[in-house]
Amino acid sequence: MNNSNSTDPSKTPGGINLSPSQDQAIEQVLNILLQKCPAQFILLVETSGQLISAQGESGKTDLDILGALIAGDLSASQEIARITDQYQHAQLIIREGSKTNTFISEAGQQMALYVRIDKDVPIGWARLLIQEASNKLAGVISTTAEDVGKLDLDLSEEKLSTIIDDNLDSIWGG
Amino acid sequence: MHINWQLRELNLKIVYYGPASSGKTTNLEQIYSRVDNKHRSDLVSLKTHEDRTLFFDFLQLELGKISGLTPKIHLYTVPGQSYYSASRRLVLRGADGVVFVADSTPQRVFANLSAWEDLESHLISFNLSRNHTPIVVQCNKQDLFGALALAEMKNMLHVQDLLAFPAVAMNGEGVLETLKAITRNVISQVQHQAAYA
Repeated sequence: MNNSNSTDPSKTPGGINLSPSQDQAIEQVLNILLQKCPAQFILLVETSGQLISAQGESGKTDLDILGALIAGDLSASQEIARITDQYQHAQLIIREGSKTNTFISEAGQQMALYVRIDKDVPIGWARLLIQEASNKLAGVISTTAEDVGKLDLDLSEEKLSTIIDDNLDSIWGG
Repeated sequence: MHINWQLRELNLKIVYYGPASSGKTTNLEQIYSRVDNKHRSDLVSLKTHEDRTLFFDFLQLELGKISGLTPKIHLYTVPGQSYYSASRRLVLRGADGVVFVADSTPQRVFANLSAWEDLESHLISFNLSRNHTPIVVQCNKQDLFGALALAEMKNMLHVQDLLAFPAVAMNGEGVLETLKAITRNVISQVQHQAAYA
């Protein structure tokens, strides 16, 4: 297909400055998705792999590692679509398993949504809810929140260097 | 970069870039083995059956608070082989800083130059440039016979303006110094950008 009207996600730089109100709005969207599907587990990550939020049963899974892998999975699929000239908005990866189905969806250009659902839940129903939630999540991020924080470490270069060096020295076992 | 003001977390991404077998994964393995497990994640490696990096390695470090924010540093490596250029670009996406791990042996001059050009072309594709991206160079394998000195390596790569460190990553030499330098540069850049936002 001709994707000239689609934004190439690979050109989108990372960077989300998430305010408390946006964080709450995201929690609400994920909570509704968790209940309505119903989903077992949901994870929202930035497309560069950094964890934003999680809901449901994660067990002993390391969520930071899972986030990095989900972002890698989505970006690899997007790139496959891009180089074959098949990239379209709102890409969705579906993996059908014997007990669960998993979905990885673009949520705007800056986030990826991972949802794990019991096999009994119809895929069409889950897909509909996930795409709806993805659109809402993208909307939350696209608005400018009034309570967004301003990053002001208020440290001189020298002081910042000392703090970082001391910080890394303190966790370095030698 | 991702800031969560609710959790007061500052998430940063640093990518270890460079030619095949220059020691990118070794850097992360050394960091993993030396950092207290309360301050790091497990090390994840997506490897080929020949034990080479297929997509990326990943390790997260959590530092103590800086001005009330907890920095979480996400470290990635890229696959070095030339045919993995598309994968390297994907891993580089959203990076706040880059460590270029060069191989100091004379036989690898072309591989270093080629990897450096590859990095620059990917940065340009993200509308970034080396002047606006914190980059630190690590000249690894300094213990090997005939290894080029730090100054020769900087000349060869045309990176006289960048911080560079000699290293023997296999023994851990130069690994912490490199990590400190890139972390300093990245957080300094974040602070600088925020001041002018």
